[in-house]
Amino acid sequence: MKEITKETLKIAASKMMFELSEKECDELMSEIDIIVSEMNLISDIEGVDDQEPMVFPFDVTSTYLREDIPTPPIDKKEALKNSKDVVDGMIGLPRVIK
Amino acid sequence: MGYMSKGLLEIHNAIIKGEITPLELVKEAVSLALNDDNNAFEYICANEALEKVKRLDDSKKDSLLYGVPIVIKDNYSTKDIPTTASSNILNGYIPIFSSEVVLRLEEQGAIVIGKAAMDELAMGGTGTTGHLGMTYNPWDKSHKRIIGGSSSGSAAAISAGITPVSIGSDTGDSVRKPASYAGLVGFKPTWGRISRHGLFPFATSLDHVAYFTRNVFDSAYLLNILAGRDDKDASSSFEKVDDYTKDLNKSIKGKKIAIIKDIVESISDKTILDSFYKTVEYLRSKGAIVDEVEMDNKLLKAIYPTYFIISSSEATSNTACLDGIKFGNRVEGKTFEEVMINTRTKGFSSRIKRRFVIGSFSLFKENQQELFVRAQKCRRMIVNAFNKVFEEYDAIYCPAAPSIAPIVGSNNNNLSNEYLIADNYLAYGNMGGYPSITVPIGFEKNMPFGANLSSKPFQESLLLNIANILEEGTELKDLVAK
Repeated sequence: MKEITKETLKIAASKMMFELSEKECDELMSEIDIIVSEMNLISDIEGVDDQEPMVFPFDVTSTYLREDIPTPPIDKKEALKNSKDVVDGMIGLPRVIK
Repeated sequence: MGYMSKGLLEIHNAIIKGEITPLELVKEAVSLALNDDNNAFEYICANEALEKVKRLDDSKKDSLLYGVPIVIKDNYSTKDIPTTASSNILNGYIPIFSSEVVLRLEEQGAIVIGKAAMDELAMGGTGTTGHLGMTYNPWDKSHKRIIGGSSSGSAAAISAGITPVSIGSDTGDSVRKPASYAGLVGFKPTWGRISRHGLFPFATSLDHVAYFTRNVFDSAYLLNILAGRDDKDASSSFEKVDDYTKDLNKSIKGKKIAIIKDIVESISDKTILDSFYKTVEYLRSKGAIVDEVEMDNKLLKAIYPTYFIISSSEATSNTACLDGIKFGNRVEGKTFEEVMINTRTKGFSSRIKRRFVIGSFSLFKENQQELFVRAQKCRRMIVNAFNKVFEEYDAIYCPAAPSIAPIVGSNNNNLSNEYLIADNYLAYGNMGGYPSITVPIGFEKNMPFGANLSSKPFQESLLLNIANILEEGTELKDLVAK
C-alpha cells in the first residue's frame, strides 16, 4: 500500500474533485493509523487472495426485453425546474471556450 | 396517547368504525411533527399532506395504509417535495418524480407527512452528521443519547409516536441498529426484494430499502405492498412475492437457529446478555432448536473494514453526479472543473470528505488490488462462512448491538472485539443480501435494546414467522418513547 501522507490525502481528494482544508487534512491524518490497522485485518486472513472478488450479494438475472410502449417524456418545464440558470429554455453553464 | 402511537391494524379498525378520519389522522401526525423536539425532520409536508388526504381514493379503504401518515427518509425522491439527503450540496433540490417505494405506499393510500433527517448521504451510523444537526433519541429526554443512523429521523419519528411506520435505508446496519436503540422493529428484506428506484445510491452492492414498524405484523404487511419486480431497477428480483402475513403464527417447532458464539462473547453488557439468553430459552420452549455455532474470529473482525472499504469506494462513483452541473447547488468558477471543485468542496461536510478520500485512496491504481479488490475477496469469504451456517440453520440470532444507545461523543476502542464484531457485524446481512430483522428484547436504564434475526435470501416468510413468535414471548411490541 502506498504510504499515507498529507500529500496522499490531498491527491485522493483532488481525484474526487474537492479540496481538503489543512484542518480537514490534519483530522484525517490523526485517524489514519486506526483506519490502516482496520484495513490490515483483511490482509491477516489466510487464503483471502485465493478468492474471487464478490461484486454483488448473489447473481441476479435481469436481462429482459421490455415491451415497446411509448411513455411521455419529461415535461420541459419540469426538467428545468431545479436549474437556477435557464437561458432560452436551456440550462446555462459556464463558458468552456474562450 | 393518540392514534399515531398505535400499530396499523388498530388505526385501520378505528377508520373502519368511523372513530377517526384520515384527515384527522394526518392533522394529528402533522401537529406532532411540527412539535417534534428530536430534530427528526428535514421537511414537514403539512400543506402537501392535507391536500393529498382530501383527494384520497376511497376504493383503497381496505388497505391498512389507507389514510395512514408516513415518514420517508430524505434520500428517497419525492415528487415536488424537497429532498436533500441531509447534505448541503442538495439544499433546495426538488425531485420531479417519486421513488418506487413512495409510489407503492401512496397507491395504497398512505400520506407522506415528512422527510426524515439522516446522516449525510446515508454515510454514517450515529444520526449526528446531517446538515441540520444531531437527531435525538426520544427515549432519552436529556438529549444526550444518539438514536443511531443513518436512518436517524425515520427511527425518531416512529419512536416518538409521530407516525406508525417510517421508511429508511440500510447499507451496513442503518435501520437494524437504530431499531435496537429506539425500541422498534427494523426490517431489511433480501437485496433485490424491493425496488431501489429513486433511492439515492450510496454503495450499490450493499444498499437496501428497509423500514421501521412498531410490530412484526406491520413489517410483514409493508413487505406485501413493497416487494416485487420493478423494471426501473435492474437489480430488483423476479422472485415470487408471498403473502408475508399468513405464516406469522405458524409453529417454529423444529426450526434451527444458530447463535454465533464469537459475536455474543464479544459483548460485555450483562443486562443485554441476560435478556438475550432469556429469549433463547423462550424460542427453545416453542420447539426451536437453538445451537451455538463457531465462526472464524478473524473473519468476523474483518466485516467492518471490508464493509468500509467497499462502501467508501462504491460511494465515490455513486456521488459523482453531485457536481453543480448535473445535480447540486452550484458554486461558480471560471471553468467546468472549478465549478465542480468549488461545489463539492463547499457542499460536502468534512465527515463525508473523509469517506470519499478513503474510497479514492482504495481505488488508486497502486492500491486497488491490495485494498478494494482484496476487500471484495474478503466479502466472498465472509458470505461463504455465513452461507455455510445457513446450509444447516434456518436463521442466525444475536444481539443487534453491544449496548443501549450510546451517549453522543462517547469513544470506542476501534480495534476491540466489541467494536469490530458486536457493534458492526450486522453488515454481513448487506454483504450476503440476507433478509434481516431487529426486534426489541429488553430495557436497561429505561433505554430499549434489541436482537437480530437473519435468514437465507428470499426466506422472509420464515424469518418474519420466527420474529413474530419471539415478539409474542417478549411482549415488547407497539413501544413508544414515554
